[in-house]
Amino acid sequence: MGKWSPRQFLSNRQQQSYVISLGAFCAGLLVVALACVLMLITIRGLDYFWPRPVQSIQFELPDGTAKQVYAQINERHINSAVESGSEPAFVFRYSDSQHPYGRSLLVEAHAVEVISEAQQAADILLHNGTRVFSEPLSIRLPEGQSGELAKYEEVRDTVTAIREQIETVRKERLASVHRELASLDLRQVEKDAPARLRLYADFERWQQEVLRLEAQLADYQLVTRFNNGSEFLIPLDDIDRLSYPGQLDWFGKLGIVGAGVVAFLTDAPKQANTAGGVFPALFGTVLMIFVMTILVTPFGVLAAVYLHEYAPDNHLTSVIRICVSNMAGVPSIVYGVFGLGFFVYLVGGNIDELFFSDALPAPTMGTPGVFWASLTMAILTLPVVIVATEEGLRRVPEGLKSGSYALGATKFETIWHTVLPMASPGIMTGVILAIARAAGEVAPLMLVGAVKFAPNLPFDGEFPYLHLDRQFMHLGVLIYDGAFHSQTDVRSASLMFASCLLLLVVVFVLNVLAVILRRRLRKRYLRGY
Amino acid sequence: MLKLFEREQLNLAKLPEAQTAIEVRDLCLRFGDKHVLHNITMRIPKNRITALIGQSGCGKSTLISCFNRMNDLIDNSVTEGEIIIDGRNINRKKENLSILRSQVGMVFQRPNPFPMSIYDNVCYGLRLQGIKQRRQLDDAVERALIEAALWDEVKDRLFESATTLSGGQQQRLVIARALALKPSILLLDEPTSALDPLTTLIIEELMAELKKRCTIVIVTHNMQQASRVSDYTAFLHQGELVEYSDSDTLFTLPEKKQTEDYITGRYG
Repeated sequence: MGKWSPRQFLSNRQQQSYVISLGAFCAGLLVVALACVLMLITIRGLDYFWPRPVQSIQFELPDGTAKQVYAQINERHINSAVESGSEPAFVFRYSDSQHPYGRSLLVEAHAVEVISEAQQAADILLHNGTRVFSEPLSIRLPEGQSGELAKYEEVRDTVTAIREQIETVRKERLASVHRELASLDLRQVEKDAPARLRLYADFERWQQEVLRLEAQLADYQLVTRFNNGSEFLIPLDDIDRLSYPGQLDWFGKLGIVGAGVVAFLTDAPKQANTAGGVFPALFGTVLMIFVMTILVTPFGVLAAVYLHEYAPDNHLTSVIRICVSNMAGVPSIVYGVFGLGFFVYLVGGNIDELFFSDALPAPTMGTPGVFWASLTMAILTLPVVIVATEEGLRRVPEGLKSGSYALGATKFETIWHTVLPMASPGIMTGVILAIARAAGEVAPLMLVGAVKFAPNLPFDGEFPYLHLDRQFMHLGVLIYDGAFHSQTDVRSASLMFASCLLLLVVVFVLNVLAVILRRRLRKRYLRGY
Repeated sequence: MLKLFEREQLNLAKLPEAQTAIEVRDLCLRFGDKHVLHNITMRIPKNRITALIGQSGCGKSTLISCFNRMNDLIDNSVTEGEIIIDGRNINRKKENLSILRSQVGMVFQRPNPFPMSIYDNVCYGLRLQGIKQRRQLDDAVERALIEAALWDEVKDRLFESATTLSGGQQQRLVIARALALKPSILLLDEPTSALDPLTTLIIEELMAELKKRCTIVIVTHNMQQASRVSDYTAFLHQGELVEYSDSDTLFTLPEKKQTEDYITGRYG
């Protein structure tokens, strides 16, 4: 007997067909896995925007009191063996006079008496992110007048106009008075100096104006009724969106979804990141990736050009090459710790001592911020760019370089005019991989600048407009944070899924842009080679 | 008899300086420990076509690369001896290679147009010299392409990518690229070995035309080509110059046995 060989059992043709089917099976599994991930994220993410009907529910509390409320039932029926024996239960969020701004509750199925559609009930979303489920009755206007519900839109416009007036006064008058006062403080002007007194008077005057307008605003209210008959007043100024989910047709629902998506993309998070939008996180993510790309591309390309074109072919160079490849395998948290220890504390701390010593001990640069985060990510993605660029440089035909030299070009001119353009698709491949890697990292970012909630964007109207020293919000961190919120609070869980979907879209869009750019470069420089 | 009038014979050994384009004196070249060229001494006449023939690895490409110092690009190359072009030894240390290489153009075996438009390809060397005026560039491109016998074929598509041209057109474009710098010497390193016979013929006709403007040195494996186009031929064997004379003599009445063996195909 010789060695075991498949030829003893299978014909060549059988062998081939088995190999092909096994390979196809594996490839198919891959596609299925990818589709599952995308479907789950998409479905759960879009769930955040889909309007849920408001229902009228009668149920009994464990102490025996009966309640009749408007509520939104979460789709997930929890079969909570742990919390209530083996019985199914409902999880819903309701509003009543005791908890007007909503309360989540888990009620066993036998305690629920009646569930019915409540078409007249509205889902009222407030500016602070909370929701009220109640039935709008009428509008209360200034001087005790009352208005028809039909005039809702009209009255809202009036309210919005007053709100804008207040904001204008705040921004244009009060803010400038504040700034001048702060500068007086800085120069240590006497407490009773005339300039100071004049500013105080100004401040008082504009403050009064704001108070007058706010009092005026408070007179506009929406009168609503809970399911048990008690009335509840909501200031119109507080209301963000009002909808009747029970009365909506498909188009109406899609409109709500559209408005929800827009709000999600443009609003700031509310209620400790369980409601509202993710604009600061989206902005922070994209900004961080852009700054990182700007930092890593020239650095990585220069390093690769040196390694490939200039470095002598000796042991040191090959050691450097091995180090670069190994850098790609270092766990990302290590880079986070490095960024914190080196960039933030050492570099940032020294910059503070040298340039911002008057602000110490409060750190200016010696604190986590978007610039340090971008720099850390640049270090993390550097090996990817170097390796891909070198690959691109390797593909430049020797003949072209000789051709350039033969026309009198120096080495630098040859690299600049001939080698780099031809290696540019390779460079773009590196940038694509770097973007994909950087967009997905969370752990190192949390050490060097990404926070759960940042009061300010890293970009505003104040000089120098782009504040790279500020901390920033990041979609990945938001998702990480969202995963720790209450599992029963389905809405905040789906906020996490929606953020996840958005992160996927961001990475996808950035990648597509880079791929399109690479294709154009390929077409321009590599056609015919 | 007629042929003698056509090709006025020069005495290569005692070529006067005014008629010498390149004078090589005791040129030795080695890569590390490997000696490639031994004591080559020769004078290449102006406005003539000189062919270098010999087996693969005999050093003819290395010799031609000495004339514009392309061997400098190879890490461990050491060149000794003198090469005098335009009255100066180009092997000296402070020779400006950019200027030298614009005076001594070179065309390689495989056409190597840059991945840019035809126009930009021809301008490449001029732009490196800092010429930016559009008029000047336009004129130079047109002149170079006419000289390279390519103008009529590409004048309507100057701004298309050069890589869309055919192999023969690409090779002529590469010649035009070198001609744009108005070189006094043109080095052709097996310029037709990657081309079909018809295209080869076009390039050969072009060479005959070009020798009015500049000196041409061509490396070739093709004996017929050498006898067809060149005025003078040098035969190299294992890094040594075996025989160097006018082509008619070399191909009909070679002095050395080695030369005869090679041109009659007994080896190589």
